[in-house]
Amino acid sequence: MSWAARLGGDPGLALRVVRLAATPEVTPELVRRCIAARLDAAEATDAEAVVSALEEALCRRGRLADRAVTDRVGRSLDSANATMFVVGQSGYPVRLANAWPELGAPPWIFVRRARRAGLRDAPSVAVVGTRQPTWDGRRTAVRLGRLLASRGVVVVSGMARGIDQAAHLGALEAGGPTVGVLGTGFGVDYPYGDGALRERVAASGGLVTELLPGVGPKPRHFPWRNRILSGLADLTVVVEARERSGALQTARLAAAQGRDVLAVPGSLNQPTARGPLDLIRDGAQPLTRLDDVLEALGLDPAQPCQALESPEPPGLDAPAGAILRLLGPVPTSPGDLAATLNRPISEILSAAAELTTRGLAQSTPRGLIATA
Amino acid sequence: MVARASTVAVVGLEPVPVVVEAHVGAGLPGFSVIGSSGPAAGQAVHRVRTALRAVGVTLASRKFLVSLAPADVPKVGARFDLAMASAILAEEGAIPGDALARCVLLGELSLDGAVRPVTGVLPAASSLAGSDRRLLVAEENVAEAALVEDLEVVPVSALAELVHLLRGDQLPRPVSTPVGTSLGVGSPDLGDVRGQAEARRALEIAAAGGHHLLLLGPPGCGKSMLAHRLPSILPPLSRAEALELAAVRSVAGLLSDPCGLDHRPPLRAPHHSMSAAALLGGGSGVARPGELSLAHRGCLFLDELFEWPRHLLESLREPLEEGLVRVARSRATVTYPALVQVVAAANPCPCGGGDRCSCSDDAIWAYRSRLSGPLADRFDLAPNVSRLSASSLLAGGEGEPSVAVAARVIAAREMAAERWGTTNREARPFALRAVTRPAALRTLADAVEAGELTGRGFDRALRVARTCADLEGSELVEPHHAFEALAHRMQLRACAAPTAVEVAG
Repeated sequence: MSWAARLGGDPGLALRVVRLAATPEVTPELVRRCIAARLDAAEATDAEAVVSALEEALCRRGRLADRAVTDRVGRSLDSANATMFVVGQSGYPVRLANAWPELGAPPWIFVRRARRAGLRDAPSVAVVGTRQPTWDGRRTAVRLGRLLASRGVVVVSGMARGIDQAAHLGALEAGGPTVGVLGTGFGVDYPYGDGALRERVAASGGLVTELLPGVGPKPRHFPWRNRILSGLADLTVVVEARERSGALQTARLAAAQGRDVLAVPGSLNQPTARGPLDLIRDGAQPLTRLDDVLEALGLDPAQPCQALESPEPPGLDAPAGAILRLLGPVPTSPGDLAATLNRPISEILSAAAELTTRGLAQSTPRGLIATA
Repeated sequence: MVARASTVAVVGLEPVPVVVEAHVGAGLPGFSVIGSSGPAAGQAVHRVRTALRAVGVTLASRKFLVSLAPADVPKVGARFDLAMASAILAEEGAIPGDALARCVLLGELSLDGAVRPVTGVLPAASSLAGSDRRLLVAEENVAEAALVEDLEVVPVSALAELVHLLRGDQLPRPVSTPVGTSLGVGSPDLGDVRGQAEARRALEIAAAGGHHLLLLGPPGCGKSMLAHRLPSILPPLSRAEALELAAVRSVAGLLSDPCGLDHRPPLRAPHHSMSAAALLGGGSGVARPGELSLAHRGCLFLDELFEWPRHLLESLREPLEEGLVRVARSRATVTYPALVQVVAAANPCPCGGGDRCSCSDDAIWAYRSRLSGPLADRFDLAPNVSRLSASSLLAGGEGEPSVAVAARVIAAREMAAERWGTTNREARPFALRAVTRPAALRTLADAVEAGELTGRGFDRALRVARTCADLEGSELVEPHHAFEALAHRMQLRACAAPTAVEVAG
């Protein structure tokens, strides 16, 4: 069992933990119930006590994984280049330990990073949101990721398509660390086809999961994943979310873990703004400018705050300038612009294309939005 | 002795002269038809034999042989009945043999000797124009044959009348040539469309430049309404063009009652459940024209574009490129014209669109990218058609009527025709650049650089820009024309769904 030594920490303990992890009965719910019933607060952050309690509970049921299964799982972790961190041991993220155990943080996590390094212990922010964002929401996530990473803040997100990936990409673009928390085990191509991005994130801040290699995405995995996501971050920013979305759940978990929640306000008319607006109503801090997130972390926003109204770019003709003043994050159709400005449609269309080519506006399937 | 009568076979749109020879001789009693006449010949025997009895000729107890030459031309339908009967009548001496020399006969016989109409009379008649021969057809086919100038057309209502005519007992009835056209009558008017400024503009540009158009909008917003009004703003067909279309209709059997030559551009709206044969042309033996060719010189309206099976859309590519369609069947490979302007309509997003739509931009791009392969490159304009709000349904007057739009379209088409003799859609890239201001080219090049436009899209956008300039009466394509062309393509970028990395700071 040479893999036990390579998983990190005490090999004897690693062997016992992998044996627990390889037992199909061990779900986050069972772990939480078991710890709550058997251990007091001090014991719950002691690896030895936690592992013993779980072993005892499972032995009584006679369900603990046998040696062969444990060995197979251990070797698969080894071949996935995973490092394991157990609660109470060195390397287990402090913030996650603070969320432990009453909120059910996992007793162990698997991390995949270049050269088997641990997670960085820097300030970190979770940027989450819908998998189907608007153009504008995606932009906000990219800019947030970029800003945070440029200040050395770890950007944590869930690797999902949409806002999550936009945040990861923004952070990668700025060359900063970003951590991806997976709803699958290692070695599963999910979201399908995004392997290149996963590799980049793994090389940057690392990939985190509590699931075993090869475990595919199941609906119940994502609430589990979300508690690690919010647990790893000092605060959570919700960029865009529909009603009843996973991002809202992450926000509520973060609040329960005692972390700040920030929400990006949007238009009343935008379905993807529903979630953040509801969060703000329920007490989340609205993100009125990007630098708010730095202030919330206690960092000094070195750069001056960006003006809300950008000055009109020079060299625009009358219709283009007038259109630009009418555009916002909610798509507007050329026909409506023509009616509002009372100009011929041909003029509006060519001005719109001029704005798009100059990067001042963006054409979406529903109409034009401003990008400046 | 052998008696001869002339007729015309039509293979596709191609008229082929056919000589019918009749011989009566000794031998076992019978009636045989030879000369690649196909399985329909057996039926012709019964029709001709019974019809001849109606004029008092019985074919009992002798050997009758009818040959259709040339034998290797595929012959389908009942169009040779009249010629076969005439040849036998001449052979029997019921009509003088030389009377048939100047006649070309086309018609089916009913059992009582009446002459019935057949399809494909117009192409046959065209092949006879200017010759000294006269065309004898059923009453119902006279108007069709009379579309051809410089041809003597004689109506024949029954075999008995034919006998009288050819014996000289009776003079041919005069034929009144139908004149005038029915331009615009009964076709829907663009004035019925309220609002929809973007779509109306795109429709006008499409009409002026012959560009393919894709209308995007939720159900019930008026996509079909707009599409059906496109012919009303297109210039009327020239006589030659109208005759080409009439020939296709004639072969398809859709020219039953022409009141003069129809100069209106056609609009065909086939359903997406149709077969490839019905769309492109098909049928056993010799292919008949499909919807594509029936829309020749007009518009092919593909409603619910995303419902169309991929193989059908793929099959349209080549004909759209070449302007004609070749259909091979067992007995002949025929070519039909297919110069069409495609107007398609589609829902804008997977849920159908509308006010309650909450599809994400990604979902919409993904939905539209289903089109990317076969046809997306062919469309030049893709306006969003929006549902009218309740207030605008009540307020607001009539839209601009078709006549006013058509006047601008015709002026723009004339400018294009003067420049290169075709519509802007067919303009050659090099010639296009010569009538474009460098700044406008730069505009499009910038768009290519920004990833808004592909290389192929460059020339297509330039063509649309040229049309915008023509509509404005401008000799050169200015940058604002190029911008407008780009704006009309914005909804077509489906294949290149934007990713987060492209988002500018």
